[in-house]
Order: sequence, then structure tokens, then C-alpha cells
Amino acid sequence: MMQERQNSSRVGSDAPLLVLQNIRKRYGSVLALDDVSLKVNRGEVVCLIGPSGSGKSTLLRCANALDIADEGGVIFEGKSVDTRSAEETRRIRQRMGMVFQNFELFPHLTTLRNIALAPTTVLKLDREKAEARARALLAKVGLSDKEAAYPSMLSGGQQQRVAIARALAMEPAVMLFDEPTSALDPETIGEVLSVMKKLADEGMTMVVVTHEMDFARRVGDWVVVFDKGRIIEEGFPGKIFDDAAGERTREFLRHLGWHGESSGGRPGSTSGGDQK
Amino acid sequence: MNLHWDVVWDNLPRLLAGAWMTIWLSVVTMALSIPGGLVLAFMRLSPLSLVSKPATAFVEFFRATPLILQIYWVYYVLPAYFDVQMSQIATAIVGLTCNISAFNSETFRSGIVSIRKGQWSAGRALGMTDIQILWHIILPQAALRVLPALATTWVSLFKDTSLVSIISVPELSYVGLKIRSETYRILEVLTAMAVLYWLMGYPQAKMVDWIHRRFKVVE
Repeated sequence: MMQERQNSSRVGSDAPLLVLQNIRKRYGSVLALDDVSLKVNRGEVVCLIGPSGSGKSTLLRCANALDIADEGGVIFEGKSVDTRSAEETRRIRQRMGMVFQNFELFPHLTTLRNIALAPTTVLKLDREKAEARARALLAKVGLSDKEAAYPSMLSGGQQQRVAIARALAMEPAVMLFDEPTSALDPETIGEVLSVMKKLADEGMTMVVVTHEMDFARRVGDWVVVFDKGRIIEEGFPGKIFDDAAGERTREFLRHLGWHGESSGGRPGSTSGGDQK
Repeated sequence: MNLHWDVVWDNLPRLLAGAWMTIWLSVVTMALSIPGGLVLAFMRLSPLSLVSKPATAFVEFFRATPLILQIYWVYYVLPAYFDVQMSQIATAIVGLTCNISAFNSETFRSGIVSIRKGQWSAGRALGMTDIQILWHIILPQAALRVLPALATTWVSLFKDTSLVSIISVPELSYVGLKIRSETYRILEVLTAMAVLYWLMGYPQAKMVDWIHRRFKVVE
């Protein structure tokens, strides 16, 4: 069972690690993000929730410049980022781990090589060191016995745990999770969420796009609610889930089957939204 | 009907030398057409039309005209109008390489494009450069996917080398047809040629079948 995190005040609010300022992003005629700003403090777990297509994932991809915002700025570790400079985007990406909905492991490499690839090619670690690091991370996500396995031999939950280890191998300052459990079978969601919980407890800064309301409620320090490319509400999880001010937020939570804390409790029990 | 199989036995060393030339031509052509095809594929994938357009023109020209015409063209037109002098064997290799490179480039291009976009995102999110992603992530996956198509091209190339007999390159077809005209033993010589081609081609065709089974794409 997940323990509720201490979150009586927003942590470290004077020196934000990542700031997204007035981001606007258009895909053809669709305005995916309309003047969205987000602040992530060190050690904080920020959960982005809201209906599918409301812009949460796009914002995440603007943060590490996988998508380039049409307008707005990214400030990371106190410095403004030129997202159009290839060199600078590579530099910030090394400091931002990302976990994808569909894992995106490299199918031609073993789990060990999946994790060791970026440390050897990007950080220029020698192979032995990189693989030692990879082994330690496999142990951390509970997959020590799978280092020689190829991704196709693993369950979805195991693949996603390898993907988390792969991102951690770069020793990032922040981890971005883009719906990490939405493509998983219900029975493997819990193992991924508990790895994420462990990371949060260790003080990792995390931005999590999720439909797992129970996770957002218990692990999140700050919850941001999206709708139609805008942030409609944000606040402490207790506030958002038990006492949401906006009718849209309440409607969204009701739609996911969230009826206040009394109904929650089991990880994954309130999952909904995108899951088929 | 009198059959004189001794014609075949007497000329066997020449036929075998021709067969060897056929193999050699195929290997050299393919060895040149793999890098050639890769270069053309990368050119066609370039966002710069100054780079992609010429490659597209090259590929579409060589894919859409008969190989025999291309060989004649290289043999007669290049020396006459461009003052390029080449031996017959060099001519054959240039003609075959242009043709096979065009086919290979399409194979490679579709192989590269077939790799999911998410794989690029995953590499980029780790801070890798596009070249590193291509080299470590995309090409190794694409290589397995293009292997079946490449193997099929190889088998057609092996048989199509017979076309360079028209410019007197002494490969199996040229040697065979020459022996036929010297001896007038049509059935014996053509049968011997067919047997030699089959002995070499059949194991290759089986190998291709195996490659298709072994490297079938499973998503």
C-alpha cells in the first residue's frame, strides 16, 4: 500500500529546477498548448492530470525539446534554454530522464546494453563502468536476473522498469514520465508505480503525466489539471482531489470514478481515462 | 539423335572459369552496391532538395529502364561522348553497380523509415546525437529488416550478370554461348550452362528462403 507523502507545503519554492514559461504550441490548426506555465522545484513530484489530448504530454515533450514550443521559454537549472540549438538541447536532455508510454526500449539490445548505451555513447563512460552502473540500476528496479534478456522477452511492466533504469543511467536531475502505465496490463501497473514511488521517496524530482489518480493523490506533491491545452487548476493533491474548486476538475475526477479519498487506497484502483 | 557430352567435358575448365567470373562479378557488384545504396538512401532522406532530388532522379532512372540498355549505354555512350575508356569488366561492374545501387537504396530507405519514430525520440531524450541514434539504434534494426529484400536482390543480380555477356565479359553465359558457336552442340552446351547456374543458384535461393523465415519482422 502506498504511504501518503508529507506535503504540507510546496518544497524548495525559491529555486525551481525547471520552469516552463507561457508555452504555446500549435499542430496545424489545433492549439495544443495555450499559454501554459509550470514550475517544478527540486525534489518535487509534480503530477499532470486531465483528459486525453489536453496537452499534458505535449508540455512534457516541450520541456526536453522533443517538441519545440512555438512561443514561450524553458528555464532549466537556472538557465534559459535555447531549444533550437542542437547542442544545448542535447545538454539538457542528458539531465532530464524520460520514460515513454510505449517504453521505446531498443529491441536489438539486451536490457543491460539498453541501459548502458547512452552512458557509453553520450557520457563516454567505458563499457565496464557503464555496465556496472546498468547492473546496479537493474537491481534497483528488481530485474537483476534479466540483464541478458531482450525487451521482447519481458512483460510490459518489466520493460517499463528497464526503461526507467535506462533513463536513470544518465543520472538526470529530473525524470519526465509520459503516461508510464497507460500501455500496461492492469496486473503489471503496480510494479511500475512502486518503482516510481521509491524514486520519489529518494528525493528524485519528477514530472508525471498520469491517469493514475491514486498515485497522483499519494505520491504527488503538486497536481496540475489540464483541459483543452490550458491549466485549469493546480494545487496540493489533497486540495485538488478532495476539494477541487473548479467544476471541470470535479467533472474530470468523477468521470474517472474518483469520489474522494475514501474510495481510493489501492494502487491502480482508480485508473481510467486512456486505458482500454 | 547423337549427343556429344564430351564437348562439355572437354570445355569444362572454360565453363568453370566462366562460372567463377559470374560469382566474382556478383560479389564485387554487391560489395559496391551496398555502400552505394546507403549513400543514395541517405541522400534521398535528406531534407535538402539539392541533395535528395539528384538521388531520386538517379534511382528512378536506373529502376525504370532495362539493365541491358544500361549496360549498352555505359559501354557505347560513355567512351564516345564523355571520353571515358574502360575495360569490358569495368564497364560491366559500373553498369551493374548503378542498377543494383538504385534497388538497394530503395530497400535501405524503406528499412530506415520503417523504424518507429519513438526510437528516435528515445535516443534523443537520452541526449544522443542523430548520427549516434542512426548508428547504434536505427541502422542495426533496419539491417535485419532489409536482409530478406537484399537477399532477393542478390539472387536476381546473380542471374542478371548473364546480361553482360553482350559486351564480351567472359562470364558463364558468354563462355557457354562461345563454346556453342565453336562446336554447334547446342543442347549439350546449354544444358551444361543450366546445370551450372542451377547448382550455384539453388543453394542461394534456399538461403534466401531461410533468411526470410529467420528475419521476418515481428513487431
